Amino acid sequence: MKFLCIPCDEKMETQVDGIMPEEKKNLAMKFKCKKCGHSIAMLTNKFETEFVSKLGVQMGGTAAEATEAPMGVMAGSLAEGKDELKKGAPTEEDIEWTEEAKQRIQKVPFFVRNMAKKTVLSFAKDKGITVIDAKLMDEVREKVGM
Amino acid sequence: MKTYEDLAGDGGSNIIEQVEALGEKLRSRLDRIKYKVALMSGKGGVGKSSLTANVAACLVDKGHSVGILDADLNGPSICHLLGVKNSQKLTIDDRGVQPGAGVHGIKLMSMDMLLSNPDSPVMWTEEADATAVWVSTMESTALRELVADTDWGDLDFLLIDMPPGSDRIDNIRSLIPELAGVVEITIPSLLSQHIVSKSIAKNNKMKVPIIGLIENMAGYTCPHCEKEGPLFEGEDVESLAEQKNIPYLGKIPFDTRIGRKTDSGSLYYIDNKDSVTGKAINLAVENILKSIK
Repeated sequence: MKFLCIPCDEKMETQVDGIMPEEKKNLAMKFKCKKCGHSIAMLTNKFETEFVSKLGVQMGGTAAEATEAPMGVMAGSLAEGKDELKKGAPTEEDIEWTEEAKQRIQKVPFFVRNMAKKTVLSFAKDKGITVIDAKLMDEVREKVGM
Repeated sequence: MKTYEDLAGDGGSNIIEQVEALGEKLRSRLDRIKYKVALMSGKGGVGKSSLTANVAACLVDKGHSVGILDADLNGPSICHLLGVKNSQKLTIDDRGVQPGAGVHGIKLMSMDMLLSNPDSPVMWTEEADATAVWVSTMESTALRELVADTDWGDLDFLLIDMPPGSDRIDNIRSLIPELAGVVEITIPSLLSQHIVSKSIAKNNKMKVPIIGLIENMAGYTCPHCEKEGPLFEGEDVESLAEQKNIPYLGKIPFDTRIGRKTDSGSLYYIDNKDSVTGKAINLAVENILKSIK
């Protein structure tokens, strides 16, 4: 799927930050025209989100990212999976994630989880926050308008 | 206005690049496995898993390296049969997820190895309103990950223990196009034969190679005196094979010890090679080998 800025007749670029989907249901992807700066958001419903999940890829990810996490889709989707599977939980040297925040980010569909992590981390860094909790994640969602 | 083709790239999602990378990963695993064989039946309860485990043991006994993929995502039983406990820690390293080490050196991968508790169900979300679409797509993805992300290493055989029914073969066929074939399993009952005949017909229509048909639980063998008696009423399974124009791989009499869990550290076949049932398993495996080599 590609998006075209009609006034500029230019391809709109996927924005890999500023994304905070509602867990396992809806997804919002942002696209921006490099020429005029106009942004749009593509909103998917639950069924569309599920369909993309099947591919086991990450929006805006790389080939290396797609293959580096063994059983990555199952790790993020099995309701009662082993802890060893879930090692992909977010880590950033100077920022701590509460258990609840880790669980919430783990519930974000696999294919946009990295983007969601980046959005939350960037928001936390901008505010000088060192502990990411569920409240902060709510704030991020509020801020990015999703 | 520009068209789709006029716009270079895929819009920044990099999906094509990633899907190709996942395909290469899958291929690199499969290229190290000589023969991939699915054991299936349209009908449940015909002893597929017990037979798969014992066919694996027989192949190992003949000097082959063997792995089993438990494709029965919702009713996995291979761990139980091969003595791999749920409490065993999952090892994930740069090469992928390490397969379970079953008895006789049989490698295995099963949903049972990924679940936190022995009685945990396979659920893809704790939300009550999970759609059938979600569950179905997740199962396809799970199967791909079980094949592609398991560090199988070099194997002579990968046996795929299929779930009851014939729908999952679509997934397996698309993941493993070079499948050596499927072994269809039925018991003598008319009901089982009726359902298995549909499974055979589907595979023929899809051009999935069929190695042959095994008649399982073909009578009862007394473990004490080895006398045989009937277990199910039904028509001759060999005539079903003839009718469908597929090889009849043999009949395997039921022995109460065949499906026992391997706390003893050994599978039925290894301990009972010379029993009537043991010899029947060996003959069926010989016929499978003749067919695929």
